[in-house]
Amino acid sequence: MKCPPFSYHRATDVADAVAALGAADGEGKILAGGQSLVPLLALRLARPAVLVDVNRVPGLDGLVVRDGVLHAGALVRHLHLAGQDHHPLAAEAARWIGHTAIRSRGTLAGSLAHADPSAELPAVLRACDGAVHVAGPGGTRRLGADELFVGALQSSLAETEMITGVELPVPDAWGFAEFARRHGDFAIVSVAAARFGDRLRVVVGGVAGVPHLVDPGDLATCDGGLSADRVAILAAAAADDVDPPSDLHGSAGYRRALTEQMTARALTQLAGHRTPEAA
Amino acid sequence: MKIVLTVNGERHRVEVEPRRTLADALREDLGLTGTHLGCEHGVCGACTVIVDGLPARACLMFAVQADGAAVETVEGLAAEDGTLHPLQEAFSRCHGLQCGACTPGMLMTAAHLLDTEPAPDRARIRAEMAGNICRCTGYVGIVDAVEEAAAGRGDP
Amino acid sequence: MTGDHRPASGTPVRRKEDARLLTGRGRYVSDLALPRMRHVAFVRSPLAHGRITGIDTDGALAVDGVTAVFTGEHPALASVALRALSALPGYVETDQPPLARDKVRFAGEAVAAVVADDRYLAEDGAEAVVVDYEPLTPTVCAWDAGITDPVHDEAPDNLLLSRTFTAGDVDDALAGAHVVVDRDLTTNRHGGNPIECRAGVARYEAADRRLTFWSGTQVPHLVRTQLAELLDLPEGNIRVIAPDVGGGFGVKAVLYPEDVALCLMAMATPGIPLKWVEDRVEHLLAATHARDHRYVLRAGFAADGELLAVRADVWCNVGAYSVYPWTAGIEPLMAGGLLTGPYKLAHYACTVRGVTTNTSPSGPYRGVARPATVFAMEALLDSGARALDMDPIALRRRNLILPADVPYRMPSRLVDDSGAYEACLDRAVAMFDLAGWRAEQGRRRKVGGRPLGIGVGIYNELTGLGRAASAGPRMPFRTGHDACTVRINPDGAVTVFSGVTSQGQGLETTMAQVVADALGVDYDAVDVRIGDTDSSLWGFGAFSSRQAVIGGGAAHLAGADVRAKALALAGALCEVDVSDLDLRAGQVHVRGQEKPVIALAEVAEVAYLRSDRLPEGFEPGLESTKFYDPIRGAFAAGVQIAALEFDPATGEIGILDWVCVEDAGRIVHPVIVAGQVAGSIAQGIGGAMYEHLVYDEDGNLSTGTLLDYLMPTAGEIPELRIGHVCTEGANPTHVRGVGEGGTLAPNAVVAGALLDALGVEVDDLPVTPARVWELVSP
Repeated sequence: MKCPPFSYHRATDVADAVAALGAADGEGKILAGGQSLVPLLALRLARPAVLVDVNRVPGLDGLVVRDGVLHAGALVRHLHLAGQDHHPLAAEAARWIGHTAIRSRGTLAGSLAHADPSAELPAVLRACDGAVHVAGPGGTRRLGADELFVGALQSSLAETEMITGVELPVPDAWGFAEFARRHGDFAIVSVAAARFGDRLRVVVGGVAGVPHLVDPGDLATCDGGLSADRVAILAAAAADDVDPPSDLHGSAGYRRALTEQMTARALTQLAGHRTPEAA
Repeated sequence: MKIVLTVNGERHRVEVEPRRTLADALREDLGLTGTHLGCEHGVCGACTVIVDGLPARACLMFAVQADGAAVETVEGLAAEDGTLHPLQEAFSRCHGLQCGACTPGMLMTAAHLLDTEPAPDRARIRAEMAGNICRCTGYVGIVDAVEEAAAGRGDP
Repeated sequence: MTGDHRPASGTPVRRKEDARLLTGRGRYVSDLALPRMRHVAFVRSPLAHGRITGIDTDGALAVDGVTAVFTGEHPALASVALRALSALPGYVETDQPPLARDKVRFAGEAVAAVVADDRYLAEDGAEAVVVDYEPLTPTVCAWDAGITDPVHDEAPDNLLLSRTFTAGDVDDALAGAHVVVDRDLTTNRHGGNPIECRAGVARYEAADRRLTFWSGTQVPHLVRTQLAELLDLPEGNIRVIAPDVGGGFGVKAVLYPEDVALCLMAMATPGIPLKWVEDRVEHLLAATHARDHRYVLRAGFAADGELLAVRADVWCNVGAYSVYPWTAGIEPLMAGGLLTGPYKLAHYACTVRGVTTNTSPSGPYRGVARPATVFAMEALLDSGARALDMDPIALRRRNLILPADVPYRMPSRLVDDSGAYEACLDRAVAMFDLAGWRAEQGRRRKVGGRPLGIGVGIYNELTGLGRAASAGPRMPFRTGHDACTVRINPDGAVTVFSGVTSQGQGLETTMAQVVADALGVDYDAVDVRIGDTDSSLWGFGAFSSRQAVIGGGAAHLAGADVRAKALALAGALCEVDVSDLDLRAGQVHVRGQEKPVIALAEVAEVAYLRSDRLPEGFEPGLESTKFYDPIRGAFAAGVQIAALEFDPATGEIGILDWVCVEDAGRIVHPVIVAGQVAGSIAQGIGGAMYEHLVYDEDGNLSTGTLLDYLMPTAGEIPELRIGHVCTEGANPTHVRGVGEGGTLAPNAVVAGALLDALGVEVDDLPVTPARVWELVSP
């Protein structure tokens, strides 16, 4: 299990990275934390001609809250995200990712670009209606979560683009629940729930090619209080709304049942949690 | 590529292909075979080393990425005179190892845990060590060892 | 020092292995680097079944750094085949080529091998080999598949082996039974997955026709014998070295086609050591699998719970090849021989089959077949208890083999010498606080809370098989004995050359303890050399929990013999009657006297260096070699009992408490024994709840990485509480084997707990949250 050959470019800044990607003629790949990419290389399931290492690009590891939105640089590691208290939902989700030796390297932007529908942070981005900032040969653009994820392991990023930063609006209340075979594994089903004012967003991971934003219909608004009955109704609605696949780790029916259970857990947590104003 | 790796305080200049993992550079180029490879896709944890103060899978990092970094491996745990690190002592006393293949990764993971949290309880130890697979011990001895070392009873 | 020799056995001395393994100074085959060494990568079949119509190696040879490519048709390999032999009637012998010839029989089979300057380049070369296949219809399941294209021409029905075990009259006994229960069970294919995968370095020197094979094997002497035959070399010209080995669990007790290919290729490239280290993907694909079985069962019970009869039809999926040298019989014969476990039974009819399929070969894996048979037997008892409305533990007690029954002739004619099952059960129940957990179960049923169930598994583990017990498979060798040489060096320190091998079991330590006590020296004065066929005389190696019994027996006998020699020489030197002398802590004493008369070191000096002082009639030197064979085996009793809780909504399974009590006989190293038990329970829990090698219907492995093949971590394995009873084994060190027993019960325990908690019988393993949910959801 040795990686196929590639050439290596250590980018000095974003422009340099984008130029290197451009020069790779579609065969370049950003190397950030490498925790998803390197296994694919080792299995020879990916074979980029050029790896553009952005780990030393300055200025991409910041975390700051402005106007109720967490602005995170592309290189913010999961460990950093898990340890910050500005965005407790993102922190909680990041704690579910792998293990310390994975979280120490893996990056927020890398996870989003990898677009694994079972991963935690894509679900959080969507639950918070966040966005990514993208740099490419034609300049920069902002992509909302709904546009970023296209399919399993597929994002709408062009081969010559890189994520430079992430916007994660800080919800007024939040919940996160995940069911995995072992702690640290990819979720069979995960649910990220966020309330912004009276607007409730529930996103289910592991049930579709992209993190699935539940359409709760009339129940989408929420004035802050969530009774146990409403939690149950919303959880059942979420289960109805998903159309999961069957695979080794569970049937469609099982995933739907887990969706209901995890949604209920996340919403129960949301009902009890508020993001501290101090953030 | 020419790179400089500082491993356990010693500077090494090595010439590596970009695709060479840090694990292979340590093992094959520096002869530091204490770092083991168990899966080469980041799951088993056997190759865990400390890079600039944080644990990392040496199979998921290219050596070129560690250029200029300070890497700590199992070979650096014991004192120069051979005195074992308290964790090594505790692993021996508590039978936290059998075949020894997962042991380097276990030790480095535990070393980082105890560097950052001096008094983890058993549940916390289990959670943190859960990124490393051991096939021999059933983990009881490993948890015992980390707990004992944490309690400062690591010295004989 | 006063008083008697302070025994090393029974105390937790520091393991001799630890200092090097803890400091990164282990010597594993994976670590080996030799001058001029080259690296091998195998090209593996992507197809489960197909005819090879062409192999183009030009692309690989064009890769910079690739020096050679071998295929099955290469002259160095073309005439060699591994053929597992057995004289059992009806056993169909088949060939396994070192690299596939003509056709491939499982996805992952090695088809070609690329030699290059390093492993990266070898893999580049392997990718560039183009193999053309003509697909054949694969068979994946061993019991419900029509056969279009047989796996081997010699076995048109894919049946390599079938045997029926009978005792008494099952039909008659079932007809008279108060209740009859039926179960149809399948167990999940999984495997050893040691952290260090397989590894080998082969070096051949043409000048003197010597081959050295460093191999992470559990069976170096067997490997040497087999290689001599396969490579047509004098056995003495082959040296097999198994240094530190990073786990084995049975998977490394096999001589693999890759091993033979590596040696043959080394012979074709004299002077150039070739190294192959298996990676995890290869291990999951092509190292032996195990436990892919089906059990169709019927049992009859009398009204008082007496087990009257068991009928069993067993299918074992043995994979694409009859595993070398153990044969396709390894799992089916063990299944039929030990299915009835620790229970008395007069009427038994069991037909076992070894069915070849287009999947990775099945081989020995810790517990061989018995995790499945214990699950099967305990499932029958749990069903029987429900049908009889009896407490499941009481039903078990009603049928256990008791001390008064031993030696007990099992219906398969194996002789159980243990009878310690009830003692283990009593101790386990007490440690577990059964009453307390039953109360908690009742409380939860009343006031709510996750349903809680108690599961129990009782097993007899056949350990240390001597020549009679190892005769069953009728292979052309009997694995009943081991040798040990104990040598007192000129300085009085002791070097032991033992035939045992270690893959983490701490055999250097255990052998040193045994010899220290047999001889009368300090543990620290004993150095143990294992795993090198050039130093130890003979040992069959590590399998069947045999080494403490057999290798330990040989070590004890050799140590005792050298002690006698040393005392005789000391007596002659000091002019004291030898019967008055005692050797302890390396000093020779006249019995009852505190001051030694001579140091062992001085005796040794005379024996080697001072022939001028050597008394009449004494040969120089001070050593002894002894073989030991226990003839039968030492059955080891074990009981596991656990409390588990289940969330019906998610299927989530929580282990609340897990107790195991085993009878290891007299314990040499208490911490090592506990570690063997704990480690084997963890693997058993892995098999019961997590680990599953799944093939799709085309014969592609769906669980090809550790992202899908899930091994339990410290987060999943609970605190394990381990207790012991001790009934001494009838062997020189009075031990019973440990190391496999722990794997036997978890299937039964988890399934039993699920039944107890939620009233559902689980027929198919593993017990995953998804399975639990499917079983309880309407």
